[in-house]
Amino acid sequence: MRALGIDPVHDTRRTFDALLAAMSRPGTVHTAPSPADHAVIATLVDHEVTLATADGALQDALSGQGRFDPAGPADADVVHVRQHTDVDVRECKRGSLVEPSEGATLVYSVESITADDAGATTLGLSGPGVDGSTVLSVSLPGEALSALADAQSGYPRGVDAVFAAGDRLAAVPRSATVEGA
Amino acid sequence: MTEQTRERTAGQGTPVATDSVAAALADVEGDGLAGYNYAYLDEHTKREVRRATLKAVAVPGHQVPYASRPMPLARGWGTGGIQASLSLLGPTDTFKVIDQGADESVNAANIRRLAADTADVATTTDTTEADIIQSRHRIPEEVLTDEQRLVLQVPITDPLRTVDPSDAANRRRHAHGNYGKMWVHLYESVVEYGEIDIAARYPTMVAGRYLMDPSPIPRWDVPKLDDSKHLTILAAGREARIYAVPPHTSVEPLAFEDRMFTVERFPGQACHACGSTDTYLVAVSEDSESGGTDDAEGAFETRHVCNDASFCAKRRENPDLPKDHHLDPSGVDWGPATPEADETGGDWV
Repeated sequence: MRALGIDPVHDTRRTFDALLAAMSRPGTVHTAPSPADHAVIATLVDHEVTLATADGALQDALSGQGRFDPAGPADADVVHVRQHTDVDVRECKRGSLVEPSEGATLVYSVESITADDAGATTLGLSGPGVDGSTVLSVSLPGEALSALADAQSGYPRGVDAVFAAGDRLAAVPRSATVEGA
Repeated sequence: MTEQTRERTAGQGTPVATDSVAAALADVEGDGLAGYNYAYLDEHTKREVRRATLKAVAVPGHQVPYASRPMPLARGWGTGGIQASLSLLGPTDTFKVIDQGADESVNAANIRRLAADTADVATTTDTTEADIIQSRHRIPEEVLTDEQRLVLQVPITDPLRTVDPSDAANRRRHAHGNYGKMWVHLYESVVEYGEIDIAARYPTMVAGRYLMDPSPIPRWDVPKLDDSKHLTILAAGREARIYAVPPHTSVEPLAFEDRMFTVERFPGQACHACGSTDTYLVAVSEDSESGGTDDAEGAFETRHVCNDASFCAKRRENPDLPKDHHLDPSGVDWGPATPEADETGGDWV
């Protein structure tokens, strides 16, 4: 992943550390190598999983290492959402009741994320990983986040969302209870 | 070798003269660990483990399958925990490994050495100094914080294995949250023994959805998982499953309204080394100090001792040290009561 300026060992380890912290504490914002969406995909994707992305640099970097197995957003294990209007996340894989972990991981590229209610759309989060309740603001319109809420309904089936903005990332796993989307 | 020594060692293998394992390893010809990737695992393996770990956190209590790799020790000796830890460890982390409460057992020492040699991590035996704690069969007595991550080694991932050996049938039960067979098992235990007779691997409900095997920790440790501050990752190498309990997640041991979940009781016992009455004790049989005849039971006596060796060492220096001494504010609700247990050992629920 040096083609993307990402160290294949230590940057991906730092990214995983941030991802694990974000996923286990929904709504918290963590620092990762920049750009965080590239770092997340470089950390998670190889030929064992399918990826939907329209990002040429990512496609080239991954195929250069034989790690790019492309698929459409409806079939991919990891879906890179650069423009929320490009992908209907309601169509993404949600896994089965027997194996819910086959649900897709959505990596949103957004302008900003903040762990307060100052941003464009504010989500109220509670559930596993949250002590009481918390808020997360994402620079996405309400309809994009309500589409995500639809994709996450029907627990334990669902998708898990990672929001990446610059060198910051936050996550909303399917286990979270989301209000305000 | 003389005739005499050959006779003496017959049936015992060839004795190896060495000071320590480290000295023996230094004598081995070869490049050592020089050719290995950072943290021993190749990046392909780490990606596999990391993907599974993230999905496990997103669906608390669900057993996520992953491609478990061969490790430099036998499956069933902590290979799942090693893969989870090595995928996580970085050069700024401090690593602690516990084997059944002890830091110095062979298994724990070897896992710690592997991590120190390949991942360049600092190691510690002090629970409060560790960033990542890999453990077999115990959760430390000292309260874990939100900065810490606990990796538990798991031999058997599915709590329903006890009631049905079929993995396919059990996965369908988990899919539908159908745990009736486990309730019947608990009821039969009450009928037969008067209480729920499960020593370890106590079936617990995670976030109200998945029944989870909390690994062979004693019942004493199960309440520590409920609404904890730390993330717990449970990894099984042989069964190739990873599951997790995020922080602030409800973990409820299965029990009946009139037959409650109870932790182990040590009536009238205290650790003979540090005097603790509020820690998990194990009985050890030792040579009797009062002597006794060789063949009689009097030659041995049973004494109780703390299972968590590192905390016991701290308590020996400061007998009043609370389990949350490193936290501010203290008074964190963590497992069985910190104040002295009453005479019956306390029916802590």
